[in-house]
Amino acid sequence: MIVAAVIGAALVIMPIAFNMFTKTPKGAVMLSEFHPLMTVPRLDGFQSEIHQINAAVEEDKTAVAPYFAAQGVTQSELDVRYPSLASLDSQWPSINSDMTSLLDKVQGNLGNYQAIDALPSFRLFPWFFVIPGVLILGASLTALLRPSWWRTARWTIGVIGIGLVLAPAVFQMFQRAPDGGRMMTSFKSIETTTNVTKIQNYFATMSSGQGDLRLGVVAALEQGGLSSRQVAERFPAVVGLDGNWIHILNDMTPMIGAMSDNVANYQAIASLPPFPLFPWFFVLPGVLVIGAALLSRDLNNSHHLDEGAV
Amino acid sequence: MRQRGIIAMAIVGISVIALAGCSSSSTATSTTLGSQTLVGTFRLTPGSDTGSVASGSYFQMISPGGTIANGPFFSNPDSSAANKSYTLLTPGTDGGFITGAYQPNPNPPFDASGNALAAAITQPTKFTAIEFGLSTNPTDLLTGKSTPVPTISVKDGKLSGQVEAWTASWNKLDFNQGTPKPDGTSPGLTAPVTGTYNSSSHDFVIVWASQVVGGPFNGFTGSWHLQGTFTPKK
Repeated sequence: MIVAAVIGAALVIMPIAFNMFTKTPKGAVMLSEFHPLMTVPRLDGFQSEIHQINAAVEEDKTAVAPYFAAQGVTQSELDVRYPSLASLDSQWPSINSDMTSLLDKVQGNLGNYQAIDALPSFRLFPWFFVIPGVLILGASLTALLRPSWWRTARWTIGVIGIGLVLAPAVFQMFQRAPDGGRMMTSFKSIETTTNVTKIQNYFATMSSGQGDLRLGVVAALEQGGLSSRQVAERFPAVVGLDGNWIHILNDMTPMIGAMSDNVANYQAIASLPPFPLFPWFFVLPGVLVIGAALLSRDLNNSHHLDEGAV
Repeated sequence: MRQRGIIAMAIVGISVIALAGCSSSSTATSTTLGSQTLVGTFRLTPGSDTGSVASGSYFQMISPGGTIANGPFFSNPDSSAANKSYTLLTPGTDGGFITGAYQPNPNPPFDASGNALAAAITQPTKFTAIEFGLSTNPTDLLTGKSTPVPTISVKDGKLSGQVEAWTASWNKLDFNQGTPKPDGTSPGLTAPVTGTYNSSSHDFVIVWASQVVGGPFNGFTGSWHLQGTFTPKK
């Protein structure tokens, strides 16, 4: 019973030692804030939006600039007239590469996210240790202090031990926790202040550059003699991006917000023990308390035996 | 002796209550220790383009790591200024910014595209294709913390005060742009209200900066420059 009491105390202390009461609610917030973004349609939508921007930037280089050149307007003159577009053009290869890579990484972790999101709320996790810990500790101490309750306490501890062993299987933690671990590893390079600031700056570059396309280039094409219809026919990617730009802003801004707001939450969760270990944090104490319950000495019986021996 | 003490305490108590009553009254101005609280409407002069710099009322957004003086600034393609780092402001239905009262966000605060509908302080102004609006709210829309009504005081022609409740709304998001922040802090480039006031002409210039905390523009800083004429509350 002393062994069981020690295991019970360890289960109570462990969440406190790992600061789980502070950290796991942050994990719950992170999962919740990413929830509306982590769907196949939303992630496909982000990829599609990057493709649209890419198409417009490419069309600007390969069709719009040559059109202006034919009108006697050089690339240098365009760069002076539309500095934000020039900045977007020059930065686009790295923006496109980084954004595509980021989205691929997030999309590749959709299944991992869904696995971890399907677990019980992170807010409850410390209590999954504390409650059985308190029950085991209480039952053990009761058995030690009141030997007449030994049998009841033994059964109680045994049942809680079985519950601890079974809990990871019931919640599919042996599969989901490693999936969560893989997601945490992938997000390590995403959820950093440096990376989020880089994405924010990309967003600023894209917004300003698109503004030059929307308000400057298209207007100049129309002033140069093309009708709106002709501009749309000749430069469909540029005009298509203009038409979809507000939707893209509506879509991308929350994603950047979620990334930015969850840097600290990610770091809190990342500082917990590795996710794949979590099922074992239930199973091992469970096995130990079952063993302790089975092997524990009945103080009543041993007392009687001792008396008989005397 | 005991009676004297009671009388003295009563006089002090009545004086404190009377002074408190003065400072919270709805008169246009009140005076405390040489500084005068300006209660009324700071009517805004519209922002205008004067080449590389703007004048009147305007806003700039500084990128993370930048400075208020030198940026780098977020270039707003929809700005009507030649220098796109300036977003020019136009007075709203109230004519400008009111002290001693809130100018809260309307309900609903946005249209379907995310354009802000708050139009009391300034007219909704396009910022990268979507209009932003300004409001002052008793509860911060982001953190839920309570924020006091804006107060501006003048002493020797210099303005000071707090605009904790100042909120910019854009693309279905709200950004506290006050100083200090609702929790009393001044993170990053957040700078207090300063400015000038001419008591004869009532002309004013108010400036402050407020770093965005949280959301997609976390770490960016809004730099506000309001100019115009103060109209005391009657």
